[in-house]
Amino acid sequence: MRVFTASLAEMWFSARRRSRLSPDEATAELMLAGRPLGQHAPASQRTLELVLATAAGPATERELAGETAAVTAFLAALPEPEPARRRGPRRIPVLAVAFMFVALLALCGTAEAGALPAPLQRLAHQAINAPAPPPAMRVPRPSADVTPGPGTTGSHPASAGSGPSQESRTGKPSASPKPTHTSASQGNGKPTASASASASTQPTTSTTDNGKGNGGTPGQGGGNGNGNGNGNG
Amino acid sequence: MLYGRFVLDGDFPDALRLAACGDAAAFARLWRDTHPPLLRYLWVSVGDAAEDVAADVWLDVARRIGSFHGGEQEFRGWLFTMARRKMIDRHRYEARRPVSPTANGELFERPAPDDTVAAALECISTETALALIATLPRDQAEIIALRVVVGLDASAVAQIVGKSPGAVRVAAHRGLRTLRDRVANATVTSPGRGGVTL
Repeated sequence: MRVFTASLAEMWFSARRRSRLSPDEATAELMLAGRPLGQHAPASQRTLELVLATAAGPATERELAGETAAVTAFLAALPEPEPARRRGPRRIPVLAVAFMFVALLALCGTAEAGALPAPLQRLAHQAINAPAPPPAMRVPRPSADVTPGPGTTGSHPASAGSGPSQESRTGKPSASPKPTHTSASQGNGKPTASASASASTQPTTSTTDNGKGNGGTPGQGGGNGNGNGNGNG
Repeated sequence: MLYGRFVLDGDFPDALRLAACGDAAAFARLWRDTHPPLLRYLWVSVGDAAEDVAADVWLDVARRIGSFHGGEQEFRGWLFTMARRKMIDRHRYEARRPVSPTANGELFERPAPDDTVAAALECISTETALALIATLPRDQAEIIALRVVVGLDASAVAQIVGKSPGAVRVAAHRGLRTLRDRVANATVTSPGRGGVTL
């Protein structure tokens, strides 16, 4: 019974599906697909079938006459594969070399300006004679700076022989070293700004310019800074 | 006779691969297979400019054939999509620069002394059959040409013309009805089938 019901439903659906296309539409679909209508078809439909079959007929000689020209145009328009393959790998090294050259120029310029990090600058100094990197800054001990004895003006161990300190390089007297060696400054009179600047930048000459008590020995940059600070005279 | 039978069929993948590598003989096989329906489709759509447009289409095919992937049906869809775009460009160009072939336009308005459709059907050839299809409205003529001459199904034609398959079917059926009405009172003489009197 169930099978019978199913077959009835199937028949109903298939009949409905068939009925979606009118006879004209079904014939039209047959003609569009190129299927024969048969001898029983009306004459008008057979005529139309003939027209469509003729329109879809085999190629004529006139239509195929341009084959040689088409092939020639094809060969001319086809991108050449061999030169293209050669160009491809060659372009990459050229671009890479150009990029590396520009990067090298920029690196050399930076090294000449002394703006590289210290390790790289040191390497550039050894390689291309670029300016040497500044030596690492030593922070003086505050206790040693503030208590220099009068007899050891500018020659205490914390400041002696250490070369130019941060303050001396910038030419600004630091505030931390207190001018305790008043005898030296008094002997010098009025220390001028130029004298203090030269004393800070040139430790070797500061001993003669800035007073006797400023620095005992050359190279005592910290001591010069102290001497600049004692411009209280 | 089934329309749109593909000549290359199983040989198409090899022909396509060799043509993409620059093989002239393989390209010639593709051209022989596809150029006649392309020319007919364009002739229905743009008339005498069909050969120029077809040449442009094949130039594009030559440039881009290396990037195409698919079977023969897809190849035809790809090629005829390009052809349709160029056809639309051609229509725009002609609309911007209309050409009047003769100074006396009144001659085109006069009716012919004989029945043109009957004269075309008396000695029916490919050109006359295409001319008959070309008398339809442009969208119907284009769809019938794609379905009958090129051999594409409704869904493939729908993709090319940018319509739904249902709209394509409706347009094709309307075009066929119009064609049937136009040849209803004519007499057709076919060498192979004999005369059919309507």
